[in-house]
Amino acid sequence: MRSRILLAIALGAMLAATAVAQPDPASEPAAPDLPVPPVAASPEPPPKPVSPFPAPDPKNPGEQYAWWIQLGRPDSADSTDGKHIQIQWERRYHGKPAMLLVFRRPVLEGETPHEGTGGVAITEGDAFGAEFTAGNLSTRDALAPTPHLGKPVPLAGLVLAKDMDIGVWKLVEIADSADGKGSFVDEVLPGTDYVYGLVPATPGADAGTIIGFPEPGVQTWVVSAEAAWWNGARWFFLAFIAVTGIAFFVFARRAKTRGKDMFIRRIPGVDAIEDAIGRSTEMGRPVLYVTGTEEIQDIQTMASLLILGHVAEMTAAYDTELKVANLFPLTMVVAEEIVRQGYANAGRPDAHRPENVMFMTSEQFAYAAAINGMILRDKPATNIFLGRFYAESLMLSETGFVVGAIQIAGTAEFTQLPFFIAACDYTLIGEELYATSAYLTREPTLLAQLKAGDTMKLLILATVIVGVALATLGIYELGPALIP
Amino acid sequence: MKKTLPIALGVMVGFYALAEFYVPHWKVRWLTTEFQTWAAIIGAFAFILGGVNLIQVNYPKIRRRERDWQYKIVMVVAAAVMLLAGLKWQKLLGTPEAGTYAITPTGAPAGKALVRVNAPDDVMVQAGPVQGPAVNRGEYTSLGFEAVVDPGPVSIKVYRRVGGYEDYTADVTLAAGAVVTVTADPPMMWGTRGRVYVWLYEHVFAPCNATMFALLAFFVVSAAFRAFRMRNVEATLLLVSAIIVMLGTAPIGAWISDDLPEIKQWILDIPNNGGRRAIMMGAAIGAIATSLRIILGLERSHLGSE
Repeated sequence: MRSRILLAIALGAMLAATAVAQPDPASEPAAPDLPVPPVAASPEPPPKPVSPFPAPDPKNPGEQYAWWIQLGRPDSADSTDGKHIQIQWERRYHGKPAMLLVFRRPVLEGETPHEGTGGVAITEGDAFGAEFTAGNLSTRDALAPTPHLGKPVPLAGLVLAKDMDIGVWKLVEIADSADGKGSFVDEVLPGTDYVYGLVPATPGADAGTIIGFPEPGVQTWVVSAEAAWWNGARWFFLAFIAVTGIAFFVFARRAKTRGKDMFIRRIPGVDAIEDAIGRSTEMGRPVLYVTGTEEIQDIQTMASLLILGHVAEMTAAYDTELKVANLFPLTMVVAEEIVRQGYANAGRPDAHRPENVMFMTSEQFAYAAAINGMILRDKPATNIFLGRFYAESLMLSETGFVVGAIQIAGTAEFTQLPFFIAACDYTLIGEELYATSAYLTREPTLLAQLKAGDTMKLLILATVIVGVALATLGIYELGPALIP
Repeated sequence: MKKTLPIALGVMVGFYALAEFYVPHWKVRWLTTEFQTWAAIIGAFAFILGGVNLIQVNYPKIRRRERDWQYKIVMVVAAAVMLLAGLKWQKLLGTPEAGTYAITPTGAPAGKALVRVNAPDDVMVQAGPVQGPAVNRGEYTSLGFEAVVDPGPVSIKVYRRVGGYEDYTADVTLAAGAVVTVTADPPMMWGTRGRVYVWLYEHVFAPCNATMFALLAFFVVSAAFRAFRMRNVEATLLLVSAIIVMLGTAPIGAWISDDLPEIKQWILDIPNNGGRRAIMMGAAIGAIATSLRIILGLERSHLGSE
């Protein structure tokens, strides 16, 4: 009872930690406003100004526009694959509600594109102007006002859409830029040089339409997507695995000196497997083993197949028929090899019957119906359900209960655990499923893994306690720092 | 050698899969995609073995007239029918043309274009913004589909109401006054999008599937009855929690007491959520440990016979 209370306290603490670690957004300190990036004094990280305008002079309207643009690797480390470019912009003096059209074009071989601001020249029959559609803005003199600004666009019927080609440009984003700020991650071809054109436009009444260009656009410098070889956002996961690996090697070393004396707590469900197979032998009925309802790459299916080898060895030693039901043919193929090996290990390769390792169907409920039919016809004395299960878990275990089978289930799918616990005699909960194979071998190096896992759980418990303490003190920065 | 090579390959691929998670470079992702394609091909071959296994398991039972052998005939025949229906026979035998069209420069109302479709009764037509059945739509003829559209590019789609037939689509550009006459009879397709396969799936498999799923309700009642018996302290706690959660979820709970829905939510949010997270954390560590065992080549039972 005491251990249960302690567990409850631990769970409560864990829960408190998670509850406290998710503060009410309203109580959070307000994020500081992003300062309007001055052209001369660059914010962090230092931006590359496209055109460093001097301080605005009201007498010269041509000077009243300035941009801050940053091009490069996306903020999200997941997108630093060399196929994405992030564009961030801020228009320093944006006067009117506007949308921002982001264009992209590849740089031609031998071309040196001009970067700078300018307008799109509205000409009859072409909203964006011949020079723009050919690859450049109409003027590269940032200080000279473009006379056509604010004029109506001649192509009133033009409806813009992403990925639309306009001359040599591709329209890659239509951004709402009423506040003058924005960012966008563009997917590009690796190893290709691009320039971007950012053109403020006044939206029309209908979606995708424009009625004018209120401000000069800007053409960026040449950029290509940069690829990273390290995803820094995932360092914590690697550190966690590394610590697990170190703990494993420490315990493996200790296991070699202590041999099989290493204490591992009993898992009743696993201990019951041999008893249940013995019961099957006495009753002369088969053992039914179900490998779950996921494909072989699922770790729970792998854990199930690892246990299957031990079960096959036991059934071979007891001379009991073993039937293995699989949802996927690839699982069936591997299961068949494992059972064959189990029978060989027990010195009974002749007793192995390949047709007892069955592929049923790849459809979930047809699979459940097929196994239910098998349970009702063959009346196995032992049903072992190990792996990932979904809604069929209760169908299988209830049918097994009807025929009076001893049932041992194990899954890490927590939504199905209550059903197995209600309907089966023994249930391996979560981590016990993964521990079973090592538990059955009793091999010190494998048992060391279980001890390493326990060490990691202690580490997590300590982290939770520290998290609760920090959250109580109002310190929330640790979580985002560990896992951005 | 028979075990060393697979272990070495397993270690190499395992470490690659582990490292790949931390390397965002597109070249690495491309290689990963290639590996996944290989896995898909191997998986496809395994389906052939699965089919062979199906025959190996069921045919002897039919031959020996074992118990319920008739059902096994149904199963094998059903599998064969679905296999045959799922093959794209039109690739082998060819398929009739879904339709044709012809444009005449005059005949439409002034300033407009006319779309005229001759098709069987069970066919639907979409001509630009106009949609309707292929019968009795005409303003100029009593049969067939007709639609007056604006000149310019028009997409005409002719399709059957039910799935499993090939659609006919014609993208035409019509001048003012032009008439396009489409003659179409969308042919039946084979394969997994074909009529026979779709019909069998929708009218045989899906109802059977739904029936199996519906049975779950009865299994839940039966299991709950046993689980909620007050055999000990834990089972009693389970029963009390379940009653509170059920009452708190149903409208009658709020009618009995305003506190019941809140207590229910507390049970779900605090003890239930805490236990769930504990199981998830333990399972995650177990999964890491199992993966490391396999990647490091310590776990070998899945590698099969020597």
